[in-house]
Amino acid sequence: MTVGNMPFLVVGILFLMGVLAILREKNLIKIAIGISIIESAVNMLLITLGYRLSGDIPVYFLSGDVDVMVMPTPQALTLTAIVIALATSALMLSVIMLIYKHYGTLNVDELRRLRG
Amino acid sequence: MNWHAHLPALLLAVPLLGAFATPVFNMGGKTLRNAWFIVISSSVFLIALALWHQVSVNGIQVYVMGAEQFALSLPSGMKLPVRIILEVDALSAFMALAGSITSLAGAWFSLSFMDRFTGLSRFVSLYLLLTVGMLGMMITGDLFNFFVFLEIASVASYGLVAFWRDRPQAIEASFKYMLLSQLAAMLVLVAIGFLYGRYNVLNMAAIGSLIHMGIVEKVALAFLISALALKCGAFPMYLWIPDAYGEAPASVSCLLVTVSQASLYGLFRVCFSIYGLAMSNKVVAWILIIFGLLSMFIAVSMAVIQHEVKRLMAYHAVSQTGYMLLGVGVGLLALGNSQALAEYGFTALKGGVFHIFNHAMYKGLLFLTAGTLYYMTGTRDLNKMGGLVRKSPWTAFMFVVAAAAIAGLPPMNGFASKLLIYQSSFAVHPLLTVVALVTSILTLASFVKVFQTAFLGPEQDRMADVKKVPATMLVGMGILTVAVLLLTFFPTWALSHLVEPAAKALVDQAGYIAAIMGGAF
Amino acid sequence: MWTKVVTGFGYWDVYSWLIFLAIASFFTLWLRNSGRQDYKEGTYQDEIYFSGNDVPEDGQDISVPADSAYWGFIKVFRPYYDVMLSVHNGLAQDYLGYFVLSIAIITALIVLL
Repeated sequence: MTVGNMPFLVVGILFLMGVLAILREKNLIKIAIGISIIESAVNMLLITLGYRLSGDIPVYFLSGDVDVMVMPTPQALTLTAIVIALATSALMLSVIMLIYKHYGTLNVDELRRLRG
Repeated sequence: MNWHAHLPALLLAVPLLGAFATPVFNMGGKTLRNAWFIVISSSVFLIALALWHQVSVNGIQVYVMGAEQFALSLPSGMKLPVRIILEVDALSAFMALAGSITSLAGAWFSLSFMDRFTGLSRFVSLYLLLTVGMLGMMITGDLFNFFVFLEIASVASYGLVAFWRDRPQAIEASFKYMLLSQLAAMLVLVAIGFLYGRYNVLNMAAIGSLIHMGIVEKVALAFLISALALKCGAFPMYLWIPDAYGEAPASVSCLLVTVSQASLYGLFRVCFSIYGLAMSNKVVAWILIIFGLLSMFIAVSMAVIQHEVKRLMAYHAVSQTGYMLLGVGVGLLALGNSQALAEYGFTALKGGVFHIFNHAMYKGLLFLTAGTLYYMTGTRDLNKMGGLVRKSPWTAFMFVVAAAAIAGLPPMNGFASKLLIYQSSFAVHPLLTVVALVTSILTLASFVKVFQTAFLGPEQDRMADVKKVPATMLVGMGILTVAVLLLTFFPTWALSHLVEPAAKALVDQAGYIAAIMGGAF
Repeated sequence: MWTKVVTGFGYWDVYSWLIFLAIASFFTLWLRNSGRQDYKEGTYQDEIYFSGNDVPEDGQDISVPADSAYWGFIKVFRPYYDVMLSVHNGLAQDYLGYFVLSIAIITALIVLL
């Protein structure tokens, strides 16, 4: 009674795109975008896991007369995960701002004062 | 229902209240804020102590959030737990005790150490939030809740690592930590999603009772292991640790050590309580052992050549984590084979678990002494120090205690836990013991170097006007010194009362599950 | 409380060790105390370097900085440390690469074995 494999495929591709972005892109802002893409991919995974075919919203007095409802728990999880992702994105962007202030560059390869 | 039943919730509620009420108390001035900081940290310690006592007397404590009956995990008619459940067994209580002691010591230490900086209200808030995240990871019984606390701890520590935001290196360390840690956290969430998709439950005990190994479970296990190994620091994923620990304020580094142990705790929980006997082959145990060996040796060899005192100690934090991974990995290897478990497995577990507590105490103490050196001289470069034993003999004494403990010199507590690990890993293969012993020697070598260059030697002219060490900093270090000395002189008591229940709880998967699911799973 | 820590192969007893430490330090101090008192002051016997090197006037010049500690050890293991320093090279994306590689290896090991 679940959806096919297509949504999971999309989630996988999106996740790998995010990983590729943080591995290959040199601009700090683009790396932050990559992290956001990974977070969105994980959220989509959670939502897809809870979906039931032709299911309705999991609220009794709103869904009307249906027998199939989607799972409510993954939606709660996703809401929490979105809030956490928002916090980390904001923090990451402000840290990038400070890096630009100190280093005068957004190139990730130039953050090399700590090594060895 | 007496108030004892609410201890698990109080352990999280008190520091959370402390964190969010700090700005209010900050308006009353510095003294009020500091008093609030100490009151909250001390009460967290007392609650953790009471919780540990409660668990050691009455067994596993279960607390159901938002239920009519707080101890009832399965309301009638339910086959699976639905609410967020805190489950405190002996291991959780043990970890929470270690965490709250370092948190208290760090709080005392911060009072004068951070005094000359601005934004201290935010510092106190973030510090208490970091404590909440750490304690939450240790006592929760719910996988998603574990992820939430992991993120609370991570976000708070990103902020604290970058607290000296006028230092470019601190910002850089925070960014690198954030990048790696966010990817790890997302992997944890993917793994939780996989397990939820298979079993439709999030409770660790419920998953443990249902689990049977398939390809999805194996992938989830691999993701959880690699992500949590990154958070606790295992080669080749520990590379953020020297940066983050080295650049954070000293009291934060002291607490971050225990936060990493909380990730280690999560790793053990996943391996023993969720998967446990369902993992029929020994791959995971060998992965832990090899992680342990590699990170203990490579990190300590990097530590020998460092000349920044906190960076050197951060490498040692990684290397000591290797001992815990080795001990618990050997224990996991013996799991399911009762003869091997009795012969060497349980000893290895005891050694690994004892080392967690020892490590939290002496590594925290070392970071605090490094912070004292920085406070006195204004530099972290060992090349620029010398002769400081004349300026602060107490700091030197506490440093020697901690350095002897971390190097495993008898009769210190570090020796007792390392001995358990050496002798039990010898039963698996002598090579494991050889690597562990060589690591121990190199540890001693690098601390001899720190002691010699920072404390010994003739008095230097440039050290003439170093700052005096304030009393509150000595109190913070003294708490941990007393803990180290107590563990040193009463190892038998510590083993039988602290460590053995915790190690038993680790192997007792059935007991962990039965506390939530009842006897009928 | 006074019993031993049994490891399964032997035991560890902190109090025996402390007693041993006390006895050993007694003998050490006694040996040290019974050293010769009849050395000639003001001659070469008084100098701190056996090699006859000049003793610096100012005591501060004798201290060894941290970078010079274990010079020989580091020199011998230079090839090893060259590899290790190239691993700890400070590039965030390399760190991410090691992490992704480790995930891949661990997943392959657990799924295939």
